[in-house]
Amino acid sequence: MKRLLAMFAAVFVLALNAMPVHAQKKVIGLALASDTNPFYIVMRRGVEIRAKELGWEVRVVTANEDVNKQVNGVMDLVAQKVDGILISPIDAVATGAAYEAAHKANIPIISIARGAQSTYQTLFVAMDSVQIGRDIAAWAAKSAGGKGKVGMIAGPAGANVFEELAQGFKEQMAMHKGMPIVFEHHVALTREQGLKQAEDLLVAHPDVRVIYAGNDELALGAAQAVAAAGKKRGVLITGLNGIPPALASVTKGDMDLTVVLSPMIWGRLGVDVMAGWLKGERPKQKVFIKHILATKENAAKYMPPKKK
Amino acid sequence: MTMRQGLNAARPYSRFLRDQVPLLALVAVCATTAVLSERFLSPVNLNNILLQGCVMAVIAIGMTFVIIAGGFDLSVGSTVALAGTVSAWVMLETHWSLGAAAGIASGAVVGYLNGLIVARLRVNPFITTLGSMVVVRGIVLLITDGRPIVGDEGLPDTFLELGRGRLFGVHLLVWLPLVLFAVFGWLLHMTAYGKRIFATGGNRDAAFLAGIDVERVTASAYAWCGTLAGVAGVMLAARLQSGQPTVGEFYELTAIAAVVLGGASLRGGDGKLYKSMIGVFIMVVLANSLNLLNVHSYWQRVAIGLVIIAAAAADQIKSRNT
Repeated sequence: MKRLLAMFAAVFVLALNAMPVHAQKKVIGLALASDTNPFYIVMRRGVEIRAKELGWEVRVVTANEDVNKQVNGVMDLVAQKVDGILISPIDAVATGAAYEAAHKANIPIISIARGAQSTYQTLFVAMDSVQIGRDIAAWAAKSAGGKGKVGMIAGPAGANVFEELAQGFKEQMAMHKGMPIVFEHHVALTREQGLKQAEDLLVAHPDVRVIYAGNDELALGAAQAVAAAGKKRGVLITGLNGIPPALASVTKGDMDLTVVLSPMIWGRLGVDVMAGWLKGERPKQKVFIKHILATKENAAKYMPPKKK
Repeated sequence: MTMRQGLNAARPYSRFLRDQVPLLALVAVCATTAVLSERFLSPVNLNNILLQGCVMAVIAIGMTFVIIAGGFDLSVGSTVALAGTVSAWVMLETHWSLGAAAGIASGAVVGYLNGLIVARLRVNPFITTLGSMVVVRGIVLLITDGRPIVGDEGLPDTFLELGRGRLFGVHLLVWLPLVLFAVFGWLLHMTAYGKRIFATGGNRDAAFLAGIDVERVTASAYAWCGTLAGVAGVMLAARLQSGQPTVGEFYELTAIAAVVLGGASLRGGDGKLYKSMIGVFIMVVLANSLNLLNVHSYWQRVAIGLVIIAAAAADQIKSRNT
């Protein structure tokens, strides 16, 4: 009997030691750029689902793409003394005050998907932008048979991710002499811009073979313009992010490629990286997310499950 | 006004209550949040609230002038972006102080032009300032090419220190609106010029017959509004460590809402500067407390909209009862 009791006690102590991660409920903050952009809506769901699995609480602040509001939101999280902050910064420089505030309060602040220039950025869960740009170009060159004009509707200049994507794309494309880049514009990431730029591109270069778009919204806009011009046959349109409407469009054949950087996985990975950090893991400055090229053949597979 | 005061003189207590609906609303929001979240009254958070309100407070000072003078100004949000980017641009080329001055001056120019068009050409203020809102945003995007202005080495350190530094534990960015509030409060409520603004907004024809140069007074109100939006833009550039071409969207609506929440009449001729500041802090505290209470962002919009309507309605009911 005594031995049995001792054994129970030992198991109990062991269990207590093994439990702190579960026993200690963490509260983390999530500062999103917007609560209407599907990318962030799904990212938020990813964060919330993973946090729930760990028994954590998530407090969300959003900013309608207003960088001042995002800084304010992070300060509200700091005031609540959360255990850690996940942020997808609207601007690499302008969010500096937010990172500084978190740092001063000894709260780790980890950027997801978009990075900041602040020296107080704890970690950056990033995508390997240059490599993704190269992969898109390689796929497009192969699909086009190494011939044809290329137009680029890149994301906003000044945003590192989009600069690097475009840079990787151009590096890779430069290897194909038969595929000159005839059009390159840096615009805001909206469907309207994609539509408008593609319309102009189609007027200036009716024989364009590949349209590279900085993200899926731009690509969806471009696809609309191409369809309206009656040119779907023969124009390859590439996007980025793998948002559900883009995956549907690729499956249907309006768009031709998107890169699945599922915001769901971004969100989950962000929480896991934060969990590691809070446990004392100290990885290098950047943690890369895996990316997958989605084409007509496999796009449907990456559609997220419907929300209950 | 005088009759109301006369009638209520016997009951100073209830008059105070009626006069201070916005203040009571602010206290109510604060008290509720303080009960629900122990973090609300922490020094960190109180500092947050002041910092979050400082830019809007400066814009609202100018907006109060224009609204009391019988108009309003939709272009302040764009002007904030213009001043921020112009100042960042000029200070990268020259000196930080010249940059700050250029930013404020750009706001003054926008305000002055608004004033000229509204006062001299008699174009409706809604149309005038809606137009200049779009024009100015376009100019901002043109001069910046849509990109934030940061410079290779960042903005000058002295300037960034303005956005970061503190005096007696309070951010420099919070002291500035306090000073401006004192100066403009004096100008509006204690000088002959201020009385002319009230008179012009209250009854333009009567003011004209009384010998007031109503065109000049109206134009000057817009000029102040633009100048102060310029100051706000430079402050925001210091806080955001860059000139951002897209900031300031919808700031005009928040500013107008804050001033009206503070009891100013959109018909002109009525309002108090300190009440506009209370209006600003109702908006700021509300946003802050909804974040502290972890209210879902979609519900936040619903809540903010409802509070604006409720506060304005309470104010209306109060004035009807008198």
